[in-house]
Amino acid sequence: MSSDALLLVSGLHVGYGHVPVVRGVSLEVGTGEMVTLIGANGAGKSTLLKALAGLVRPSAGSVTLDGEDVTGAPPERLVRKGLALVPEGRMLFGPMTVAENLAVGAHTRRPRDPGVAEDRDRVCELFPVLAERADQSAATLSGGEQQMLAIGRALMSRPRILLLDEPSLGLAPRVIGAIFSALDRLRADGLGILLVEQDAKLALKHSDRGHVLRAGRIALGGSAEELIANDDVRLIYLGAWHGTE
Amino acid sequence: MIATLLTRVRYGAVIAIGVVVAVLPLLTGDRYLIGKVLVFVALNLIIVSGLALVFGFAGQISLGHAAFCGLGAYTTGFLVTTLDWPPLLGVVAAVLISGLGGLALALPSLRLKGHYLAMATLGFNEIMSVLFVEMDAVTGGNNGLSGIPYFSVAGARFDTPALNYWLVWGVAAVVLALAYNIVRGRPGRAMRALHGSEIGALASGVDTTRLKVQVFGLSAAFAGLAGALYAHSVGFVSPTTFSLETSVILVAMVVIGGSGSLAGPVMAAVVLTLVPYADALVPGLSADTVALMQDWEADVYGILMIGVIILAPGGLGRLLVSRRDRRVAEAGEAA
Ligand SMILES: Nc1ncnc2c1ncn2[C@@H]1O[C@H](COP(=O)(O)OP(=O)(O)OP(=O)(O)O)[C@@H](O)[C@H]1O
Ligand SMILES: [Mg+2]
Repeated sequence: MSSDALLLVSGLHVGYGHVPVVRGVSLEVGTGEMVTLIGANGAGKSTLLKALAGLVRPSAGSVTLDGEDVTGAPPERLVRKGLALVPEGRMLFGPMTVAENLAVGAHTRRPRDPGVAEDRDRVCELFPVLAERADQSAATLSGGEQQMLAIGRALMSRPRILLLDEPSLGLAPRVIGAIFSALDRLRADGLGILLVEQDAKLALKHSDRGHVLRAGRIALGGSAEELIANDDVRLIYLGAWHGTE
Repeated sequence: MIATLLTRVRYGAVIAIGVVVAVLPLLTGDRYLIGKVLVFVALNLIIVSGLALVFGFAGQISLGHAAFCGLGAYTTGFLVTTLDWPPLLGVVAAVLISGLGGLALALPSLRLKGHYLAMATLGFNEIMSVLFVEMDAVTGGNNGLSGIPYFSVAGARFDTPALNYWLVWGVAAVVLALAYNIVRGRPGRAMRALHGSEIGALASGVDTTRLKVQVFGLSAAFAGLAGALYAHSVGFVSPTTFSLETSVILVAMVVIGGSGSLAGPVMAAVVLTLVPYADALVPGLSADTVALMQDWEADVYGILMIGVIILAPGGLGRLLVSRRDRRVAEAGEAA
């Protein structure tokens, strides 16, 4: 592992109370790199992302962000340092408008920072529907629009690393395509992305590398091509029994 | 259309009320009304603005705001009468000391979930009530402090009831505008986000504990400011004014007014402050009736508070908002 990675996770343990969920995970994400995390329900994927975003405190191990130790740092500090989470289930502010949801995403920045307006324009360019719906409450958006808003809100802190927890969940293929092409563009601009996905085939197609999380441990890791070619992964996570490809 | 019309009506109402409040001393020379009753309304508005922020933002009630008010009153009273400080410095010191006291109390109790703040503030009020009596050298004990002059700054003296009335209402207007800006601005938006989704707010970098502590500190500073202005308005402070009972009455105004808005608590503060002084407003009301109302003040507010919690959990403010929204919705359907 190179130590100049943007996000460096090493031997991380996370649990709720005395129940261990994540048990010694190490991984890294570099600038402009997309890394996918796949695993069965309950494997601890969301817990890992929550710990990286400061929503749950890890019990052991370390997290380094851009060379600085941020293990156990509170979420607002991590957001300021350039890490943003798109949480599982989107977690939007339902009664508030689309514009207000985006504004809260920029909460850690100075209100008069001209970059905030730039980033709002960039988000609206990435997802034009958000500009059309700016004054509509988030709760009235469609599922796909809500996911776009959740990603847009996270981008409003101008992150260098973005964590996404199942962005495709419950969405139609066309919308999923729009979201993944947006991720491709962000990544081309240098954003590091750590993605948790149920649709492993789709996620790996867009990724550089991937990891399989099994019962809180990394069971398998490698380049996206290696994982797609791996028999276990094909069988369990890629639905190879349907005879696709 | 309807919404902008309503906004305009509301701005119009605020301006109209402002004009009436401003010209009142020119219309009546009633020293009781201008020198006391309506000044108390303005002072309670200052305190309730802060308490409404604490209730709306942190979902907490404070049972210690009478004590912060007393802290402000005694601070300026002592500095101005005993140490001969100019009133401006006395008031500034009162605001700072109460604000810092509020931060010191809120910091440990808001880190914990639950109603530790209510408990801590209740204990604080009881302790301060004792200290106001026992710290004789500073507070004058049971006799209190007297001979506190009207406020003055750089030669400008607010030394008639009318001038003092304008001063206190001017400060109240500024405090209300400040509170309104907090609700409408960044902190208010962050807090609405927290109520929308706590995980979403945390993931966006909203530091909720810090926000709550800051709001509580500000509310304590407001109470200290009101207490200091009270001291300069009536010229006298005594320990019984700042009892737990006063704190309960202040909280009742906020709970009855509701957590959804600033307007609800503001209206409740005006009405509930005026009730015990009905004799100044309603001519011919017998002294016995007024005395009875004053005796039962806290009890009546307690019953009102329970009634509101049972019948209209959002408070009067929420009731008004939903009535208005319904009207807007119906108008929209009809169109
Ligand atoms: N707040 C919590 N308190 C206690 N246990 C929890 C909590 N959240 C998750 N868990 C447990 O931790 C384990 C891992 O949950 P997690 O949500 O991280 O899984 P996941 O890999 O994201 O699953 P999914 O694919 O269903 O989203 C589960 O057994 C779950 O019951
Ligand atoms: Mg999950």
